[in-house]
Amino acid sequence: MALNIAVLVKASLDPNMIRTRGDDVDTDSMPLAMSEYDKNAVEAGVQLKEKHGGRVVVVSALTWGPLAKRQREYEQVIREALAMGADEAHVVVDEALVPGDPLATSKALAALLEKLGGFDLVITGEASMDMISSQLGARIAALLGVPFISYARRLELGDGVVTAVRDLEDGYSTVRAKLPAVVSVTGEANKPRIPTLIQIRRAFRKPIKKYSLADLGIEAPSKPRLEELKVIQVKRKNIIIEAENLEQAAEKLIEALEREGVLPKA
Amino acid sequence: MAARVLVAAEKPEQLQGLAGLVKALGAEGEAVALLAAGREEAEKAAYSVFKTLYYVEGGGRLQPCQLHELLEGLYAEHSPVLVVGAATKNLTDALARLSARHNLPMFTEAVSIQLSGDEVTAVRQVLGGRARARLAAKAPAAATVNPAVYAEQAQGLAAGAELAGLRAPAAVLEETGYEPKKREAVDLESAEVVVGVGRGFRRKEDLAMAEELAQLLGGVVGASRPIVADYGWLSEDRWIGISGKKIRPKVYIAIGISGAPQHMAATVDSKIIVAINKDKNAPIFQYADYGVVADLYQFLPVLIKKLRERLGK
Repeated sequence: MALNIAVLVKASLDPNMIRTRGDDVDTDSMPLAMSEYDKNAVEAGVQLKEKHGGRVVVVSALTWGPLAKRQREYEQVIREALAMGADEAHVVVDEALVPGDPLATSKALAALLEKLGGFDLVITGEASMDMISSQLGARIAALLGVPFISYARRLELGDGVVTAVRDLEDGYSTVRAKLPAVVSVTGEANKPRIPTLIQIRRAFRKPIKKYSLADLGIEAPSKPRLEELKVIQVKRKNIIIEAENLEQAAEKLIEALEREGVLPKA
Repeated sequence: MAARVLVAAEKPEQLQGLAGLVKALGAEGEAVALLAAGREEAEKAAYSVFKTLYYVEGGGRLQPCQLHELLEGLYAEHSPVLVVGAATKNLTDALARLSARHNLPMFTEAVSIQLSGDEVTAVRQVLGGRARARLAAKAPAAATVNPAVYAEQAQGLAAGAELAGLRAPAAVLEETGYEPKKREAVDLESAEVVVGVGRGFRRKEDLAMAEELAQLLGGVVGASRPIVADYGWLSEDRWIGISGKKIRPKVYIAIGISGAPQHMAATVDSKIIVAINKDKNAPIFQYADYGVVADLYQFLPVLIKKLRERLGK
């Protein structure tokens, strides 16, 4: 059975490259990068393809603007997934999805997955690295009416069934579901490959197809308003304790902590 | 029967924080709660802010699809304007399914939620804990919260919720195995004193110094990523970081930790941060209230000795 796998890839804001305007995060000038756990999703998809045969399709939606300016950057993220071994990409590009919210994005992606049709498995990362909502996989599975396995740290396919080990707070739960299914993977699921130069070059020949919401036959979905996005300014005292020797430094530190009222009482 | 707020927890202690949230929302007596555990567990958390506390007959571990089915039933029965779950993996999963089914916005790990009229406003930490997003949407809406955030509001709550048993729905997914994680009975997330260890420690045995310091202060030892993931010196439940545990102690003492953003983001709610590092240029000092530039191998024994004298231990 040749597998038909979709991997969901987000071009996320890079949390290590925060740009600001005053207290506000200036999302428009922050660089985009492939969301960390989505690399695990792509790797999982490509590994399954290598083992069982079939194809891997990248499915994505642009959720950070300004769209006109993001074209090249965005394509770079998609090309990275293609270079890792995916075969083709399908992307929703529509102003109505910017800024992204799982409520709206999940509807667009579910509509695109339905339009493309015939997927055995849809793989997502456990959460995006920018907004960390951890909802998309569950929402898409519910919209498509198929089983969902969240937080998988191991993933195997066999005989029309997916088996996964879910990494929960208190333990590891092994579950099985009939295909088609949606699975979200954790950072421990695998070690994402770094594409070679040749693979990157080849990725330029792989097709990327774009869709508007109208192409998908859906209206602009409602979503919460992002009213404010502010940098967290934690005011710390930044006092370096100066002392002549270690004894004195320890004493000064203990005194400071007592003044702050954070030491237990004698 | 309508209830404004529906909350869901997997463990009784999570329900305490959720009761605090109900109080903060001013929805006392207008909330119902689901505890995905048996009656005995429910009796520990039958706070009177809940009109009804639903438990699961026979208890047992439930899967997200089962939690979702239970929530569907309660959602239909009570038509709440807000559904809030403890931010566990299973409940995040289940609430996202419920949200998709009913076209609800959902705010994952909200640090504050406000209800005014038919508008729900939530604040979330995003971008690796380095930014705060305020989102607003028309009710009904869903959210998850870290119950520890509302622990203070939960002080001194009275018991008195009516208990009602629900039958667990059949699971869609077949569970073929379950292996509990090894626990060391540490609770980093609610500890008042946390001693953090990083790569400045050269050998596993040397962590005993940090453990001694933590015990002296009635605290627990946590660690940065390398100690847990690369060296395996401590178990995963000690890992302080965005993908590990988030802490909110009165004092966090970071020893031999350089101060990577992913680590520091999980410590922003600490009241006081102390850094001990021999590299005066380590980024950790920018995040600290008090810094001591010293070799931990020389400084820790002195600090422990002085603390013993001060605390009379």
